[in-house]
Amino acid sequence: MDVVTVNILDSTMVSICREMGIVLMKTAYSTIFSEALDFTCGLANLNGDMLAVADYCPSQIGGMPLLVKSCLREIPTWEIEEGDIILHNDPYRGGLHTPEHTFFKPIFMDRELMGFAVAIGHIQEVGGMVPGGFCGEATEIFHEGIRVPPVKIKKGGKDNVEVWKLLLANVRTPRANYGDLRALIAAVDLGESRTLQVIKKYGKSVFSEASRDLLDYSERRMRAELEAIPDGIYGFRDYIESDGVDEDRTYVIEVEVHKFGSEIVIDYSGSSTQAKGPINGTLGVATSAAYNAVLHMTDPSIPRNSGCFRPIRVLAPPGTIVNVDYPGPEVGGNTETHPRIVGTILGAMANAVPNRTMAAEGGTHSNFVFGGVDAETGDFFICYDIAGVGWGGRAFADGNDAVDSINGNCRPTPIEVFETRFPWRVEYLAFDIDSGGAGEFRGGVGYTKQMICLNDEVICSQMTDRHVFAPWGLHGGRTGGLGATLVLKAGTKEWQNMREAYGKKSTSRYSNVRIRKGDRLRLVSPGGGGYGDPGNRQRELIANDIKQGYVSLKGAEKEYGYREA
Amino acid sequence: MLNIVGIDIGGTFTDFVLYFHESGKTEFWKEPTTPDDPIEAVIAGLKRVHDLSLAGKIRLGTTIATNALLTRRGAKVGYITTQGFRDIPFIQRGDRRSHYDISWIKAKPFVERRYCYEIRERLSAKGELIVPLDEAEVRALARRIKGESIEAVAICFLFSYINPQHELRTREIIAEEIPGIPISISYEVLAKWKEYERASTTIADAFLRPVITHHFKRVQERFSAAGIGDRIGIIRSNGGEATLASAAATPVQLTLSGPTGAVVATRALARLTGLTHFVTFDMGGTSTDCSTVVDGREHVTTAFEIEWGIPIQIPMIDIHTIGAGGGSIAWIDKGGMLRVGPHSAGAEPGPACYGRGGREPTVTDANVALGRINPKYFLGGRMQLDKDAAFMAIARVAKTLNMSVDETALAVVQIANNNMLGALRAVLLQRGFDPRDFTLVAAGGAGPVHTCDLMRLASIPCSLVPTSPAQFSAFGFIMTDARVDKHRTVPQTSKLFNGERASQAMTGLVDSAISELKAQGYTENIEVYRSLEARYLGQNHELELSFPANDFNHDTVRNLWHRFHEEHTNRFGFCIPGETIETVTLKVVAVSVLKKPIVRELPSQIGIAEPREQRQIRFEEGWIEVPVYDRDIFGRGCRITGPAVIEENASCTVVSADRCVTVDSFGNLIISA
Amino acid sequence: MRFSENGLYVERYTKCATCGALIYHQEKQQLLTCDGVIYCSQWCIDWKKAREARRSKPQNTTMSLSSQE
Repeated sequence: MDVVTVNILDSTMVSICREMGIVLMKTAYSTIFSEALDFTCGLANLNGDMLAVADYCPSQIGGMPLLVKSCLREIPTWEIEEGDIILHNDPYRGGLHTPEHTFFKPIFMDRELMGFAVAIGHIQEVGGMVPGGFCGEATEIFHEGIRVPPVKIKKGGKDNVEVWKLLLANVRTPRANYGDLRALIAAVDLGESRTLQVIKKYGKSVFSEASRDLLDYSERRMRAELEAIPDGIYGFRDYIESDGVDEDRTYVIEVEVHKFGSEIVIDYSGSSTQAKGPINGTLGVATSAAYNAVLHMTDPSIPRNSGCFRPIRVLAPPGTIVNVDYPGPEVGGNTETHPRIVGTILGAMANAVPNRTMAAEGGTHSNFVFGGVDAETGDFFICYDIAGVGWGGRAFADGNDAVDSINGNCRPTPIEVFETRFPWRVEYLAFDIDSGGAGEFRGGVGYTKQMICLNDEVICSQMTDRHVFAPWGLHGGRTGGLGATLVLKAGTKEWQNMREAYGKKSTSRYSNVRIRKGDRLRLVSPGGGGYGDPGNRQRELIANDIKQGYVSLKGAEKEYGYREA
Repeated sequence: MLNIVGIDIGGTFTDFVLYFHESGKTEFWKEPTTPDDPIEAVIAGLKRVHDLSLAGKIRLGTTIATNALLTRRGAKVGYITTQGFRDIPFIQRGDRRSHYDISWIKAKPFVERRYCYEIRERLSAKGELIVPLDEAEVRALARRIKGESIEAVAICFLFSYINPQHELRTREIIAEEIPGIPISISYEVLAKWKEYERASTTIADAFLRPVITHHFKRVQERFSAAGIGDRIGIIRSNGGEATLASAAATPVQLTLSGPTGAVVATRALARLTGLTHFVTFDMGGTSTDCSTVVDGREHVTTAFEIEWGIPIQIPMIDIHTIGAGGGSIAWIDKGGMLRVGPHSAGAEPGPACYGRGGREPTVTDANVALGRINPKYFLGGRMQLDKDAAFMAIARVAKTLNMSVDETALAVVQIANNNMLGALRAVLLQRGFDPRDFTLVAAGGAGPVHTCDLMRLASIPCSLVPTSPAQFSAFGFIMTDARVDKHRTVPQTSKLFNGERASQAMTGLVDSAISELKAQGYTENIEVYRSLEARYLGQNHELELSFPANDFNHDTVRNLWHRFHEEHTNRFGFCIPGETIETVTLKVVAVSVLKKPIVRELPSQIGIAEPREQRQIRFEEGWIEVPVYDRDIFGRGCRITGPAVIEENASCTVVSADRCVTVDSFGNLIISA
Repeated sequence: MRFSENGLYVERYTKCATCGALIYHQEKQQLLTCDGVIYCSQWCIDWKKAREARRSKPQNTTMSLSSQE
């Protein structure tokens, strides 16, 4: 097919995906969709290969091909009819974690199946042990909410009412869940109708041929990029501090990156056996994280589709922290283990592609979830609250401050929306001075959100990390600041962590803590690691950091040996 | 009724339109822009007007605010906020500009962190007092600010959109302590929720304040010296006219001034032609602007970012701009794919065919190589294009692609068209509009060249090429009204809806909008439009619904809920019957409808229009010999069938074989099947 | 992955010991076993053998460690 048609088809399909995302953002109920944009929309071909995707959430972008392919192995294409919509969230069958719901709709042209419109979104309430999905102390999948194998939520254009009833009976906020599910359906409906217009215009054979060529084109580009990286076996490891269940165990993420010619193998075989608690990744997470890291190391202008992924092989041995076996818990794998894996791969490649890697970023989304009964309306509310972290220092620049971790691209909810919706008053939201790891290029800073509870009771759970092991520096750069979660119970004077205050096994992952009126919570997000020897940092930059309040004078003296002129 | 001059300061040229009310004639001319001091070009251009004292009104589209923000040349701002929240402008929204780009550097706000200050005060989410304003602290801070030689102050407290008392009082105290210091408060800049967006906009307002005041003072002096100091109107981002003094008082409202002209001109076309749905396609050298006019009204948005991550949340005509135009460069990427843009040859050196040393092939070069643009008749023959240079530039790319030169040139145009199509989709399909209901207005020098291609690609059945399409924005300025937009967030739900509270807020907004108009001297023909933004409770993005009156009574409210479900179905394909609806922001637009020029009707066409010559032009189906017409010879009712080319002073219209053109009473070319 | 005879639930999730991919019994996907362990492909068997051989000789990988070491 001629390059012009391929180019035009590519940008048209990406713009369809973007349109699907706009509908999803505008109609969904959870703030995790509408503010945080924790979803992705794409188009797939008959085999489930991703043809195009819009830039929403990276963990779902890399996860999409395996998700659709896994579903198609259970519901073969000949059982799919016009007007059907398939829903799935099973972590053991290509999924990412239980909150991530995949919807896809077949695109039929003259009764011939041409491909699928796909939307994947994080639904914040999925039932299970805690309101909001993130149960920090789950020990099996059944604690983590309802599990949905590939089923048809719509059949031949009509709601499959039984499926709806089952789904909505198993969650705490059926009204909001209904809204989110409707929004996901509206997105794939739009994807289907827009794609049909495109196929009509070009004809079926041109569409199929051009989309095949598009995948080949991306593969070609990706191979050329990989060729340019020096051959070798690169290794790195990082640690996860706890799983919320086993008090004394830490977990290793170890990668070996084998780069030879135009191919790359990412081997996780040195990683820990799977955890009892919910920090395990699924195969979908392991695959998506590998793709995410490789896309970071290569030219971002390559059209993103399954072609990019052909030269990448992922080895995630079963029963490990990167590929959980049934019925192990997994909700934190997609949010916490994913960025840890990406960071580990980038760390391994730090010398091979110095301008496309960085020191460790904060690498957590905070994942603070809470629910309760609103005193005014009597309705049950739920919120999934996220926070930004500091980026790692880079070979050419300081890390960015307060940005969502590398596997998401989510926006925390504004304070004015947060307080209007939920019974908290935020007392401050402020950068943590000295939390950027020292280096020739400093890590970005994290921040703290402190708030006071206004409801009689709010039930809180969390799934975060970096309370113990700080984000690492590179080439002599220092570690970034640690995260923390602290509580000040009403009438007391001492801030305590969750272990001290509620006897939890972990300070960073816990479930169902009952916060009462007047209690204060402090959520501290980690900073990023530094890059290069702090001694090489330009004096003017240190002076400016002090002037603008990113580094204290004391910190500058200690980390940089700085003396005021 | 007065003679009116419209002036649009562009990147390369400053465009002028003069309307003589007695004869009904309009004149168009251009002057090279003087980037260092844009007012020089304006004065130079005005010297061409025979007797300036006859110019009753001069309307100016200004780039001063846009440039100050883009180049970050503005005031040293001090930012004052609620205790605990001075980092909001730095934390921002927390997302990245694009995925997978480790080189990205987060945008900085228009204030330094060390000049961000906190004051003890706090309101609840309902606007109730939690912590009273610490006035002593404000006073102490004022003295500190004075010592730091801060040039302008921005104040944004949490929840001030519901209750502005603390912001107002803080301004009072600062003004007492530092007389004359420019101060912007978020409640007045835009009383809408979401603290980062409001803070960012308020900071930008303060950042611009001294620059704009200084600039307007000079404008006033220069115009007064010319004896026309009392006749200036400034165009705001909402497309409306304001006085110099009023514009200087709300400087951030000038962020997007010039490009609104094309949309206002389109609204005027809607009135003239009786057509209701237009989409504008204003294609210049380096960028293309698209926008809509639906049912005779433009779409106004508050979602705008001056650069990625830095929102300027003011009522602004919703113009989608892409960095692609005639100067966009064609190149081959690493995978062997032909691409067009985002790099542009700009005005210097410009496309290869300009013969000023540009060697890269551009869209304009492709159009020359395809015979669409006449190298001998560019800018009405005032500029000769180098056809060979265009050909050679394209040939270099063609060689890599192993394609012929004309196939390559055609491919460049096709890819550029597809980029433009993206912009049209963004303002039509992505907002839920059906392109088949629209007329495509082709403006800018390059718009008419591409319009037939885009009609086909975007399924838009009809296109209109206005007279002098290259000066369309300046033309809009002679057709504009005075306008004030007021927004205020008052969250309520259909379950517990308090009509009295809503009525009160709406009445307050209407009163303040009208009095702001009147204070500027616009007292005649005032029209008020009310609307509100609503959504299902739980959603976070709103649909806008018009509202008939200040009063929220049983009937109007019930009707409102009904219309919301309907609109949700229209826009998104579904609704949720019985669901609770949340109303968020009330909006009021007050317009003083100013007297409009009467566009003179063209005399009837006599006989058949004769082509000036025949020329070979490459269309998708191959080279075709087509007739070339001078637009000047057309009369009303003239009809031409494609393929054809219609040439005029600063543009040319390419008509494909499947289209025909009719000239309407006002000289517009109407292209249809 | 093996389904129950009625097709309504999963009885066992079978995965390749090297790459961790699911192996679908109902598709009669060929099961490769080596030393009693299941693999999805000869490639995965070969990789595992090569890895063991490599790891028995130290210093073959440029393993850099994070700063927690």
